[in-house]
Amino acid sequence: MMRITRPLTIVSLVAVLVATACSSGGNAPGTGASGSTITVMSLWGGSEQESFQKVLDAFKTKTGVTATFDSQRTNYSTVLQTRLSGGNPPDIAIIPGIGFLRQFARQGSLKKVADLGVDVNALKSNYPPGILEIGQVDGTQYAIMVKFNSKSTVWFRPDKFKTLGVSAPTDYAGFTKLLGDIKAKGTAPMGLGAADSWTLTDWFENIYAKQAGPEKYDQLFSGKLPWTDASVATAVDTMKQAIKDDYVVGGITAALGRSFTDAIGQAFAANGTAVIYYEGGFVGGIATGQTNTALKVGETIDWFDFPAVGSGKTVTIGGDVIAAFTTKPGVKEFLQYMTTADSGTVWAGTGAVISPIKSVPATAYPNDLAKREAAQVANASAVRFDGSDLLPSGGGDNLGAALQTAIQGKTVDWAAFETAMQTKWKAEK
Amino acid sequence: MSVLAEGMAGSRPRTPAGRAVAALNRTAIHVFLALIGIIWLVPTVGLLVTSFRPRADIQSTGWWDIFNLHLTLENYSQVLQAQGMFQAFLNTVFIAVPSTLLPLAICAMAAYAFSWMRFPFRDTLFLIVVGLLMVPVQVAFIPVLTGMRELFPDFQLTRNYGAIWLAHTAFALPFGIFLLRNFFITLPPDMIEAARIDGASDVRIFRMIVVPVSVPAIAAYGIFQFLWVWNDLLMALVFVQDSSKYPMTRAIQTLLSQYGTEWHLLAAGAFLVMIVPLVVFFSLQRYFVQGLLAGSIK
Amino acid sequence: MGTTPQGLQLTRDYNALTGGKAARRARGPERPKWGATILFLAPASLLLLVFLIYPAIYTVLLSFNRGRNGTFNEWVGLDNYARLFADQDFLNLSTFPPSGALWNNVLWLVLYVSIVIFFGLILAVVAARVRYEAVLKAIVFIPMAIAATALAVIWKFVYSPDSNIGVLNAILGAFGIAPVSWLGDQNIVNFALIAVGIWGSVGFATVILSAAVKSIPAEVIESARVEGANERQIFFRMILPMVSLPISVLAVTLVVNVIKLFDLIFVMTGGGPGKASQVIAFTMFQQAFEAGQYGYGSAVAVIMLVLLTPIMIFNVRRFRAGSVT
Repeated sequence: MMRITRPLTIVSLVAVLVATACSSGGNAPGTGASGSTITVMSLWGGSEQESFQKVLDAFKTKTGVTATFDSQRTNYSTVLQTRLSGGNPPDIAIIPGIGFLRQFARQGSLKKVADLGVDVNALKSNYPPGILEIGQVDGTQYAIMVKFNSKSTVWFRPDKFKTLGVSAPTDYAGFTKLLGDIKAKGTAPMGLGAADSWTLTDWFENIYAKQAGPEKYDQLFSGKLPWTDASVATAVDTMKQAIKDDYVVGGITAALGRSFTDAIGQAFAANGTAVIYYEGGFVGGIATGQTNTALKVGETIDWFDFPAVGSGKTVTIGGDVIAAFTTKPGVKEFLQYMTTADSGTVWAGTGAVISPIKSVPATAYPNDLAKREAAQVANASAVRFDGSDLLPSGGGDNLGAALQTAIQGKTVDWAAFETAMQTKWKAEK
Repeated sequence: MSVLAEGMAGSRPRTPAGRAVAALNRTAIHVFLALIGIIWLVPTVGLLVTSFRPRADIQSTGWWDIFNLHLTLENYSQVLQAQGMFQAFLNTVFIAVPSTLLPLAICAMAAYAFSWMRFPFRDTLFLIVVGLLMVPVQVAFIPVLTGMRELFPDFQLTRNYGAIWLAHTAFALPFGIFLLRNFFITLPPDMIEAARIDGASDVRIFRMIVVPVSVPAIAAYGIFQFLWVWNDLLMALVFVQDSSKYPMTRAIQTLLSQYGTEWHLLAAGAFLVMIVPLVVFFSLQRYFVQGLLAGSIK
Repeated sequence: MGTTPQGLQLTRDYNALTGGKAARRARGPERPKWGATILFLAPASLLLLVFLIYPAIYTVLLSFNRGRNGTFNEWVGLDNYARLFADQDFLNLSTFPPSGALWNNVLWLVLYVSIVIFFGLILAVVAARVRYEAVLKAIVFIPMAIAATALAVIWKFVYSPDSNIGVLNAILGAFGIAPVSWLGDQNIVNFALIAVGIWGSVGFATVILSAAVKSIPAEVIESARVEGANERQIFFRMILPMVSLPISVLAVTLVVNVIKLFDLIFVMTGGGPGKASQVIAFTMFQQAFEAGQYGYGSAVAVIMLVLLTPIMIFNVRRFRAGSVT
């Protein structure tokens, strides 16, 4: 499962997100398509699916259009491309990464938002600066961001922290010390699901964005900075200071065979022994909804900010965009609806996501975890999107594979990696 | 007696030492074969046992822990209802049956033509069929999908079963025609000549003589093709593009990717896929082996 | 292929131009009856043309193109092939041992084919000496009836890194050895997968070779025994050469299996960890249906076709030489 995220090109996503309700939200969707049915495809399942279904239900109530949810939990990008190839696309789909957005847009498979009859200029006021740009390819609006999660949240067990007598760190050096301290007390502290290599790319991106800075981050993930740059190797070494065989429950080798949901269980299942697990804001929903319904926010599950590296505090986020593949009646209405505060509030209310729509009030979020997450991003000095989702198709996998190699202590051939990546960028055009 | 068994009888040793060595040889053989039997049974049996164990048991002890055997049908019920395997089972049947009957009919007809009819370039054309045996299905994916999309969008072939029926049938043809033609050729020409002299048309000869006599070969091919389609994943991945029509192989693959460690579901699901082929295999073993021996190329 | 009565042996091969009048007449009139011919051949010809022949040509041509959306939008000549062989995920000769999808197929070719034949032959020979031969052959043959997808589940279960679940790691645990990540370790994943492949195909080899060995005339072997030849000599100097034809047929089938290998890899490891266990059929699928690189994917498909061509020629030659089945 890939998290969809987008880089923000503009630094100040600051106070705007958690602005108090300025209710001039979106335009009311038309009712001309009432009674029609559209298919919406995404890779969400489990608790994420339930949350999204609430949005679809609200949409139906409002417009009379039935949106059936087609959940493709595995091989999502392959299924989508195959359906396109066979002339069978869903009406609307979540796009699994900006590389894919570019792929589909340049293929001509996506309908331009403007062509659907949606006023793109009017949308600008719904979002903080930079958000709409994420859904653009070559300057044209093809997709709209509908949700995001912070990827700078390190989840932990407050109860076990208390027993161990440790507290959340404020910077990275403190973080590695914390890991060492917990290990010294007898347990390996961290869960890790390295089979899902995108979790490793999230580690890397967080560290790199903070360590090398947001400008270099942008260059690296747009193919302008070569991967042979020293900053890359430095970030990987920093990463390895935390991802050590000793610090991971079960060791690195076992982690390489573990999925990220199982790794959540390492820390938060009833019989879990880990005390720390790093992944994005969505962990909360999965942990409390699926892994262990007995978890109590603040007592047995909570998160702290991914520690600053040096002076860098850039926050990384992951988000999803949706795009239209057909012009069936109901498609325009759906796209429009997803830009309104209405949809944002319903979805935010489930606690599963943070909405990028400006006018969604802070009170819409059901619990502290989500409120803090929204605030973290809003107050960040700089925000960047998940880099691996920016790379061309397959690039994220390559990066994940390279990082899997790195955490095993082997050397990564960054020169070869750069060559392969450049070929991919070229092939995209 | 087989060549090899005879070897044992023929070289019976005369001395006590020789007999001891022979006995040791025999024991070694039995041990070796027992080991082979174990290696070839354990994985499957292990999963079978697991499919009847409750989830909690699976997580705590191995299936080989026979003292802790609590059996349940809960896994099967869950996988059939909650996980949609029942629908997937029906889908598999819905895909496999036409994908077997269609090729059977078409191959038999073409094979008859290649064996008992005359037309220009017959032998060259058959050589082409033999050559086509080797064409991998990968070369067809992109053109066929693009064709279905551009030329026949209204038929929605990938949204219903049309695409996969046609694809399976087409790709079964080289092997089927090859196999059946090789069998038809062995029929006694007198039989057919007599019918021709009586004025029978080719259609009559085919229906009344060739087919009834060839039932074993046709059955063998049919079983082989049925199992092939039942067990297929790749074609389903490409040509079945409606989630409600996914066959069991696809459903299991999804289950495995998603719930990598929910073995109670995976085991039950896997056995649901395996049941029909195993039943067919055990009851119609003879035909199945025949089909394999005859062609050996698929 | 079944049993044909002795008398029919003489009338087996109708390819021969010589043949009795009855045979010639039976084969059909000199002037073809077009209506009937078309009726019998049309469905097959149509399907073969539309689904095999035309697509094969299309794909070959598309491999020289960018192939956006599967259509011919931009000629690129040999660019796709150059990219393919420069792609380290496809073939990486710069390290020792080499890596890449093509290399993995080579690995499979060498290990899988040889071990399956070897084991098949041994089992065929040894099992013939016991009374429970049929049972044993059936046991070993069972995996042939099982879908590759289900095989993947069975063996992922066996290979599980949790020693309460995976039988292999449980055995290792009993000897005090730490659990091995059979499918998660880049260095052993391919061997683990090949083992599964072998497990699945040995039964097939055994059945074929058993039939082959049993068809050796007993008198020939018997007379050799009488002349004093021992078991080993008989095996190597007599049995082996006489089954060389079935072995070659078997080998051809196995080689084709290797080149087309997809289901097992896709389900067990998805090409992973990383790209360590990819094979070319998987690469084709991924490039065409994930990356949307239809021209590039077509090039991989063409390479598969090229690899299979020698076998195609071998088959056609063998067929023409009259050795039907």
